[in-house]
Amino acid sequence: MIVPLISIILLAPLAAFAIFALLGLAKRNFPRQDYLSTVAMLAALGCSLLLIQEVVSDPKPITVEWLSLGSVTFSMGFYLDSVTVIMLIVVTLVSSLVHIFSIGYMHGDPRYSRFFAFLSLFSFSMLFLVVSDNLLGIYIGWELVGLCSYLLIGFWFEKDSAANACKKAFLTTRVGDIGMFIGMMMLFAEFGTLSLYGDSGIFEEVTTLESGQIAWLSVAGILIFCGAVGKSAQVPLHTWLPDAMEGPTPVSALIHAATMVAAGVYLVARMFPILTPTSSLVIAYVGGITALVAATIAIVRFDIKRVLAYSTVSQLGYMMLAIGAGSYVAGLFHLTTHAFFKALLFLGSGSVIHAFHAMHAHHDDEHAESDEHDDHSLVHEHGSEIPPDQDMRNMGGLRKKMPLTFITMLIATLSISGVPFVFSGFWSKDAILGGVLGQAMASNSPHYYILFGMALIAAGITAFYMFRLIFMTFFGEPRNQEMHDMAHESPWVMTVPLIVLAALSFPAVNILWFNENYIEPPPQHHIHSPQRVYVSPDSKTADANSGISLFGISEAEAAEDESGHDAEHASDGHHGHGPAHTIAMVLSICVAGLGILLSWLFYHKRRFSAEAVATTFRPAYNLFWNKYYFDEFYDGVLVALTVWKSRLFAGFDLSVVDGIVNGVGTVTRDVLAAFIGFFDNRVVDGLVNRVAAVTWSAGGRIRRIQTGAIQTYLFVVIGGIVLIILIFRLF
Amino acid sequence: MLLSLMIFVPLLGMIVVLLLPRESDELIKRVTLGFTLIPLIIAAYLFINYERSIFGIQYPHGPVDWITAFNIKYYIGIDGLSVTLILLTALLGPICVLASWRNIEKGLKAYMALFLLLETGMLGFFASLDLFLFFVFFELTLLPMYFLIGVWGGPRREYAAIKFFLYTLFGSVLMLVAMIAVYLNSNVINGVAEGVRTFDILTLISLAATPGHALADPGFQMWVFLGFFIGFAVKVPIFPFHTWLPDAHVEAPTAISVILAGVLLKMGTYGIVRVNMAMFPEGLAIFTNGVGIVGNSLALLGFINIVYGSLCALAQTDFKKLVAYSSIGHMGFVILGLAAGNSEGINGAILQMFNHGVISAMLFLLVGVLYDRAHHREINGFGGIATKMPVYTGITTLAFMASLGLPGLSGFVGEALSLLGAFQEFELITILSTIGIVVGAAYFLWTLQRVFLGQLNPKYEDLPEINKREILTLVPLGILTIVLGIWPNFALDMFSESVTNLVNVLEAI
Repeated sequence: MIVPLISIILLAPLAAFAIFALLGLAKRNFPRQDYLSTVAMLAALGCSLLLIQEVVSDPKPITVEWLSLGSVTFSMGFYLDSVTVIMLIVVTLVSSLVHIFSIGYMHGDPRYSRFFAFLSLFSFSMLFLVVSDNLLGIYIGWELVGLCSYLLIGFWFEKDSAANACKKAFLTTRVGDIGMFIGMMMLFAEFGTLSLYGDSGIFEEVTTLESGQIAWLSVAGILIFCGAVGKSAQVPLHTWLPDAMEGPTPVSALIHAATMVAAGVYLVARMFPILTPTSSLVIAYVGGITALVAATIAIVRFDIKRVLAYSTVSQLGYMMLAIGAGSYVAGLFHLTTHAFFKALLFLGSGSVIHAFHAMHAHHDDEHAESDEHDDHSLVHEHGSEIPPDQDMRNMGGLRKKMPLTFITMLIATLSISGVPFVFSGFWSKDAILGGVLGQAMASNSPHYYILFGMALIAAGITAFYMFRLIFMTFFGEPRNQEMHDMAHESPWVMTVPLIVLAALSFPAVNILWFNENYIEPPPQHHIHSPQRVYVSPDSKTADANSGISLFGISEAEAAEDESGHDAEHASDGHHGHGPAHTIAMVLSICVAGLGILLSWLFYHKRRFSAEAVATTFRPAYNLFWNKYYFDEFYDGVLVALTVWKSRLFAGFDLSVVDGIVNGVGTVTRDVLAAFIGFFDNRVVDGLVNRVAAVTWSAGGRIRRIQTGAIQTYLFVVIGGIVLIILIFRLF
Repeated sequence: MLLSLMIFVPLLGMIVVLLLPRESDELIKRVTLGFTLIPLIIAAYLFINYERSIFGIQYPHGPVDWITAFNIKYYIGIDGLSVTLILLTALLGPICVLASWRNIEKGLKAYMALFLLLETGMLGFFASLDLFLFFVFFELTLLPMYFLIGVWGGPRREYAAIKFFLYTLFGSVLMLVAMIAVYLNSNVINGVAEGVRTFDILTLISLAATPGHALADPGFQMWVFLGFFIGFAVKVPIFPFHTWLPDAHVEAPTAISVILAGVLLKMGTYGIVRVNMAMFPEGLAIFTNGVGIVGNSLALLGFINIVYGSLCALAQTDFKKLVAYSSIGHMGFVILGLAAGNSEGINGAILQMFNHGVISAMLFLLVGVLYDRAHHREINGFGGIATKMPVYTGITTLAFMASLGLPGLSGFVGEALSLLGAFQEFELITILSTIGIVVGAAYFLWTLQRVFLGQLNPKYEDLPEINKREILTLVPLGILTIVLGIWPNFALDMFSESVTNLVNVLEAI
């Protein structure tokens, strides 16, 4: 059943796109592309759910030969384990809901059909990426989702900002992809294959390496991670994701929150077995830094979508941190919960934007006419023009106008903020925090304590800015009465997906994750080597007393201690009974509470003034406001340098390389001809003159070519050849 | 016989066209189209019926005595590599005729006649098994090309045509010298000349592998390698012999640019595989053994082409010139893959040759479509035309994505294989070459943005959408880019046997 089901999952959305493309060539449209794409997606969702029962504990890849070059063969195929199935369900579910939402949201857009066709193409590419059993297949899906992201960010391409953003997204991620490709080349050069599973796959081959030989493997792992840095918008390649918010909001929900950006995390999780201590630590640090940097930027944004975008960057950093710290399951768990609550937040913000729909017509208005009374009139918005319908300074008091949107978004906010026990986001975030702390305690490495600290601070900030968003949007008095009067609750096609996603923010729905045996982390061979700093989470062998949970990491010697296995099982789950988890849980509840409290005091009670704080901590504020100047650096230095270099090269080409050619030509014609005389005159200059005569003479030139010139030149060339042959004969 | 028929049908067509009255434009076009369709049908037949599992020459014709004094024979035949490129050539034939349907305003008869002559030259070149015949066909393409650019080209056509002609001639002369040297040494064993000399490529290949034979001498091989290589390098073109290309492309009419990029550049790389690599593996080894500058020189040239070509492309504001420079970059991947000398590299390089032929043909056709409407090619002079020409934009996006190496489309497979192969031999050079991939994406996306996205330039309110004839020229190429992206074995199967054989020869050195 696996092959037919996966085939339907892949082909249904692909067919929906193909119909659009083929009809497009004939300059026609399928009458209901929206239904077509949505039904295709629902079919894929149904098949994904059916796949749950097909998962076996030791899956084998199903492959076909794709390319054979004598000795080397590349194959393409599927690999279906529990992680694949969970990803399939997440993707198809979110995608289906986004399709339905878009029927309402995109209604009336002149390129309505195209939007759905692109969504279908994206879904196909993403699903292909997820099921691929080899790096080449993953890379193909990886780039195709990038293309779809490009097409959808630039969907409203008349806006210059959108046209810029889509280009930036593609190029920035491509920089990461090059790293990934070099990593792939390294693995290929070493193992002669790009297949991951099976007897001669990379994961099997990697176990044959001696521990002394793995330095290059660390490099390869980090290079592959570069791809994830680009795609999952990790520092320093994160700058494209906030700009990607130029795309329609359902796109932000699907691609730039729930699925494509999470593909990087999925990739790193898939490559878990080849990660070495060094590459793991690099991944963890990049993740930790990203989580913190993005969270600090999010605090000061006013564009509702950019707040969410930075929040996404930050949460993706969390997931990376988890996997780098060895908490494989926690990372993927957070990927799932995040997909649902962040998609919900984006769709909710879409619902708010839709409420201001009349304002859509004014998209090209240059500026958000920001209210004078606002906190931050002191800082002027360079370069970032916020569309008025996305500016939180135009919102406020919307909870009565849009109760469903408000409640569902509030649920998602509670979930992402880590409000305890009731919401899934709490469990997944706690799993990560507990995992990192457990790793720190087990390895006694200061790195993981630092990382834990970063994650904890980021958690607090997350709670703060998310409630800031809720307070600014839904509470208080309307700040822009004119827009407020126009606001309305969205139609049911838009609210139903919100309600479904809200339901998914509760743990009960994420039942698979609470079955601790459902997902088995793959072994990390090289972290089992004697030099390891820590062991992989699958050797759940830490002694029960130290209470390191499934997400935690144990001491080196623990690998031998198989007896602790069962005890560990007792403590894993996601409830973290051990000290690491208890400490992490208490701390995370504290920081979340603190964040929410501060947010309430600042933005609801107005007990403190954000403006005053901003003035007091001016340098920090400026840093956050200017997004750590990454864009300035890239545009001002890297892009400018590349363009400058290209002009230099082109100028060099024109003046020097071509100059030499022309110079040789001139010298040959003018100087040599003058000196050498008849022969040269005849061949070189004579040729030139002849050509000139032919081409310059107006009316009769065609006739002249037909009647004489070709023969003349044929004669010259053939005669020349014969002449040279004769000269050689004489030797 | 079938092969000869295919090669000379266009020549027959030329005679027929010349006999037609010059006023009857429609008739001339239809006759020409007919005479280009016949080689396409034969090429497709050959491609399908080519026995893929066997290594060696198939459908041979000859050897027939031609110029007996020098033992020059008429001898043609195909292997997997040549049949692939013959299919490409034959496919581009009718496409180019269709692309010239409306925009050749003067001298249509002469244009079509020259075009048919050109096609015979190209088809013959890829099928030749006699070195002299090979050279004659090589030169035969030069003449029609010279006139097609020099007469029907843009404002600087004379300059471009002369430059193209003299540059190629310069290369040919070196090639000719090397060829004659090979001929004169073809009967020298252990310093003693005996028996007849020969131009037969297959015989020469085996002689060059015979110990003690003059052709097998590494020093001799190095010099003749260089002679042929420079001849072909001008054609590819390889830095620093490339400056004729942007000029020729910019001035040439659309269809001629298509042929230039699609086929003529491949003649250079085909020659490198067929002559330089197969015949002079010892000479090749000197430039690819990975020791010092000389030992890395071929890979370095590939790298320079890739990075230099793409950076120059980034700076262009003329749409066609940009595509021309992008060709230089993409041909660099071919050189890099060939330099690797392993199965992935050479297969990738050959696949890249075919794919580049298809993709660059699409790109030049697309530029032509726009030029026919707007009568200029200044990238910054457009803007927002995606709203007016959605289908055209869609096809252009496909071609751009294929060209920048998007996986799932054909451009990726050749590039990736070339890089995978090259990485095993030249790690650092290959890593540096990947810069070209990023820059490639940059110039295409930037162009896409400047021409198609943003607010519609009011000048182009009335821009008509791409028409059916133009779509017809693009669809077969578009299908090929998608099919070869998904199922590269379709083409790779044809030549992987030949490549395996070549790799075995190279690895024996």
